[in-house]
Amino acid sequence: MTQDKIAELVDQVPALDKRGTFTGTTWEENLPIFDGVLAAGRAGVTAVVAMLKEIDDGVDYKARYVLHGIAQYVGRPGKDAARALFIDALASQLGGELSKGAQGYVARQLQVVGSKDSAPALGKLLADPELCEYAAQALLAIRAAAVEQFRKALPDLKGGPRLTVLQALGVLADAESADAFKKALGDADLDLRLAGAWGLARIADAGSADQVAKMATATDGWEAIKATSASLLLAENLLAAGNKAVAARIYKQLLSNRVEGTRAYLDEVATEGLRKAGG
Amino acid sequence: MASRSANFNRRKFLGTAAASAGFFAVSPSSLFAGPKRRSPNEIYGGALIGCGGRGPSTYKEMTKDLEVEQRAQCDVKFVGKADNKMFYTDFRRVLERKDIDLVAIGTPPHWHALISIAAAEAGKDVLCEKPMTRFIAEGRAVADTFKRYKRIFQIGTFGRFGESKNKNSILIHKIMRSGLLKENPGVFVKSGGLKVKEWSGRVNLAPQTPPANLDWNLYLGASPWKPYVPPRHGGTHRGYWDYEGGGLADMAQHTLDPYQWTYGKDDTSPVEIEAYAPPAHPEVCAMWGWIEMTYADGFTLVLESGEWGNKYDRKQAHKPVLDDLDEDSRKKLQALPDPEPLLTFAEAVKTRKQAGGNAEAAHRCAILLHLANIAIRTGRKLKFDPVKEEFVGDELANRYANLPMRAPWHL
Repeated sequence: MTQDKIAELVDQVPALDKRGTFTGTTWEENLPIFDGVLAAGRAGVTAVVAMLKEIDDGVDYKARYVLHGIAQYVGRPGKDAARALFIDALASQLGGELSKGAQGYVARQLQVVGSKDSAPALGKLLADPELCEYAAQALLAIRAAAVEQFRKALPDLKGGPRLTVLQALGVLADAESADAFKKALGDADLDLRLAGAWGLARIADAGSADQVAKMATATDGWEAIKATSASLLLAENLLAAGNKAVAARIYKQLLSNRVEGTRAYLDEVATEGLRKAGG
Repeated sequence: MASRSANFNRRKFLGTAAASAGFFAVSPSSLFAGPKRRSPNEIYGGALIGCGGRGPSTYKEMTKDLEVEQRAQCDVKFVGKADNKMFYTDFRRVLERKDIDLVAIGTPPHWHALISIAAAEAGKDVLCEKPMTRFIAEGRAVADTFKRYKRIFQIGTFGRFGESKNKNSILIHKIMRSGLLKENPGVFVKSGGLKVKEWSGRVNLAPQTPPANLDWNLYLGASPWKPYVPPRHGGTHRGYWDYEGGGLADMAQHTLDPYQWTYGKDDTSPVEIEAYAPPAHPEVCAMWGWIEMTYADGFTLVLESGEWGNKYDRKQAHKPVLDDLDEDSRKKLQALPDPEPLLTFAEAVKTRKQAGGNAEAAHRCAILLHLANIAIRTGRKLKFDPVKEEFVGDELANRYANLPMRAPWHL
């Protein structure tokens, strides 16, 4: 029954207007569709997923709309069982034969409503250059159990996915990734160097203070701008952690090593920081 | 997701962007000669980032009452035109220049926060087109950065300057800020004019190869990677969640910013939000009926589209008046001073004091747009903590308040 019945339900979504824009009906009018899909259990959800095309050009707009509507619906208070069923069904579709386009869409719905139980399935996508960003964004939205997936994936990654995952570990302020951040400071890729500096600032890594501050003062251009920002963040986080001595060292380094006549606007910022650090 | 051709183009554009970054990693030293100490009448160096649509008007606003020499124009559609002297595709190269003091940002909103933050980090003052941000956490980051670096920020909407000189508005402002109202009876209703259908996105378009003059990867920036379809760029971007937030986000900062000042809400946000709308589309902004937002003191703000569903009929508009106060409170109110005049961008740049539409105030106004859109997108009544700037007891709604960014971009 499922595929035909589900197709009938999905088809109840109103068509687009002539211009291709979407008007929509009330939640009350949509609930029978959403409840109907959920009533069919995991098979109901995966039947809608099976309607997704590789390319989002409007042909499968009703299936995409229904999945997203259910994602919002099961996020309501008191819908825990329906949410668990829905996200389990979505996660089961990742990493298999489903087209990359459809998997990307499924990952984005898990970004909306997924839980820690979705993390392993999303983690498997981090090694896929086409899906890494969507998986990382979903994991960062979910937060719970995300850090383990990023840590596990990082050692084998190169290029764009490596940057995506390293930055994600910075977003999560993962102190256990300190060595990975430090290693990135010496990378040939500017974005990786900056992600490393920012990650170290996020975790208030006192042992990296001199290296991050040197990056700020010994470089120029964009690298100097962002490394200075990381230095100030590191100093602030060290201050918040009670490590005034190292924070003061960063501020002094920023003040003493700047090129005469440039970055004068930073003087006030660093001087104020130094005062807070008791330096 | 990308078609084969779109994937090909993605790789091609990523390659182009990477090559560009490498090429310009070592910038001409002449660009880094430090600016001389400025006398009050000296000329400021100006740059416009985001040259289409509202860009030129935003730049013009930035130069009002200041001596500004335009030294750079930057747009992701300048591929083939960029000479990295006056014309740029990559805003990072513009911000590296130490002879630029003022930056006007006219890009789509998904770039506003990141470019504003980077500009402040590079020591520039900023006039940024509205709406200020794409999501709530961006605004907090902008406000904190401008505070940290002591730079000037002004949002590109100016209605509050007139409102702050209007006698009736000053009276309402004083009543609202006085703390003398026992129960706040104020209800502000904005009905219509929010371009809901006009800025609804189109769903039925097949991905195409981006135009040769457009750096699509750089255009997308921190937003999720999507294949190129023409309406996602060039004004019609307003109809997509990834870049703006429909007519509501586009128009409501204009509409609400003056009244946010009048009603004295520059330092707080609503605590309850409820929307009447259909289930939202995942990609495009679409129709909604009304949104009701209530502050902790009872003041209610209503946006009504007039373009979908039933009319709003819960509360009547009411401006707080002297009659809402008792006799004793009216006397106390008369003794209170009028609010300080708001500084224009030019005045703020010259005096190094906050502009009238500063980052903190602009962020509070942008929060209103985001709260409204998140209520539409989640389809449920939300509670918000104006201090933590988080939804209360709704982890899923909070996912919209702080969206993950695509590397290398982050707050």
